[in-house]
Amino acid sequence: MSEMLPVIMAFVAALISIVATWLAVQERDMLIATLFSALQSTCYALIYYLLMAPDIVLVYLPVSVGILPLITIILIKKTERYEE
Amino acid sequence: MSSATTFLLTTIMISFIINIAISLYGVFAKPSLVKKFIALTIFSDSVNSFAILIGFRRTPLGYPSIAVMPSPPQSVEDLKRFVSEAVDPVPQALVLTAVVIGLAVNMFLVGLIMLYYKYYGSTSTRRVKI
Amino acid sequence: MRLSDIAIGVSMAMLALLLSYLIVYGGLGPIATLNLRPLAVSFLNYTYNPWKIVYSAMSPEAVTAIVWDFRGLDTYFETSVLFIAIVGLIALFRGANVVQGVSSKGLSIIVKTSTKLVAPLILVAGASLAFHGHLSPGGGFQGGSFMTVAMTLLAIAFSIEFFQQKKLTLNRLLAIRCIGLLAIVVVSVYLLVKAVLLGGYAYIFQNMPRINSQYSMPSWFLDRPLAGILFFFNLSESIAVIGGLTLGVVLLLLREEELKAIIGGGEHE
Repeated sequence: MSEMLPVIMAFVAALISIVATWLAVQERDMLIATLFSALQSTCYALIYYLLMAPDIVLVYLPVSVGILPLITIILIKKTERYEE
Repeated sequence: MSSATTFLLTTIMISFIINIAISLYGVFAKPSLVKKFIALTIFSDSVNSFAILIGFRRTPLGYPSIAVMPSPPQSVEDLKRFVSEAVDPVPQALVLTAVVIGLAVNMFLVGLIMLYYKYYGSTSTRRVKI
Repeated sequence: MRLSDIAIGVSMAMLALLLSYLIVYGGLGPIATLNLRPLAVSFLNYTYNPWKIVYSAMSPEAVTAIVWDFRGLDTYFETSVLFIAIVGLIALFRGANVVQGVSSKGLSIIVKTSTKLVAPLILVAGASLAFHGHLSPGGGFQGGSFMTVAMTLLAIAFSIEFFQQKKLTLNRLLAIRCIGLLAIVVVSVYLLVKAVLLGGYAYIFQNMPRINSQYSMPSWFLDRPLAGILFFFNLSESIAVIGGLTLGVVLLLLREEELKAIIGGGEHE
């Protein structure tokens, strides 16, 4: 059972990431969509950690949870916040 | 252990496929360029996850270990045990560079969208008539 | 909902069903097998192998060994792609420069103080990841990304004029990026130049002694493995990544007053 636990946690994170992706695509407010995209990235980072890929986690955390939402927020600040 | 683990891993992979489908729907159907950009980043992340999941393995003893030796091996038996327990490092090495390069290319895309907004006054592809 | 949206949605659902069908029947290869692929077994065997040193990278970290030794040329060209993407961004914003005195205040004093505390810690963590990339999980790309986060925090909290005051102009960031790439080139041809001068044979991206070649980079430093070329490549790559990505973030953070020069005039319909 203890060997199953990491796989079950990765399974739950994968299910959460589906919901986060759907909300990020459907949301009309871009700022909230960016936050959902960051939530999806966090779930993926957890999955990578549980699949024994620490190198990917270390590069994925600053890139996809840190810098990508940041430049998306810069883009939203300089353009439009709401989809038509 | 084996059949339940295989079921869970297959479900994780199918969830990646569903994410790919949803994000491709966002890229194709949504008019806003910013929304297209967000969906594109999700798409690239999901495709990278495929490679990581392909590199995962089972071991006869239990959960596999990372592809890093805790200390230099002292004998051939240490090396054999490491090879029998570690996960596949090749997909990780491929994804590692792809993530950073993807960030640089995404920055270029963000600059393009900014200039698009400067010229046309909107980020919607439906409103602008070129 | 338009008709085209529904058509796209239905076709994407068909795509997901088709790919899932392929995976359930093993179309994309088996998932989580008991045996590794032969290529992975070979790489894991020769990552740190003191008994067959002519095939080995002498690094306990398998991923860094693959990235910089076994597939070094591949990674070099991927670094060039990163460089070219940043060059494209510079070409988009050509002629723009950071102007002093537009809004040099930055964020509030609370944010500034906490950034002063946190940013050096992130920089040190990233540097340790880059320095220990051949011993523990980490490496040049990871360390560079971590340090870019710290630089981005500084750019947001203190405004981008802070970089200008610290003599970290756009041209200088580009110079740091080029120095990193140049250091990779120098390290990769170092043994070749040495072999040409002293006589004998060597290869580019050569790490340990190979068949026909006696030259090698140092594999141990005092009492711990150095893995030769990997250490220097990790350092150069982290410098390259921090220079390039910080330059990209600063270019994206340029204000209206600075962008007017490159757009020319106002918006038009």
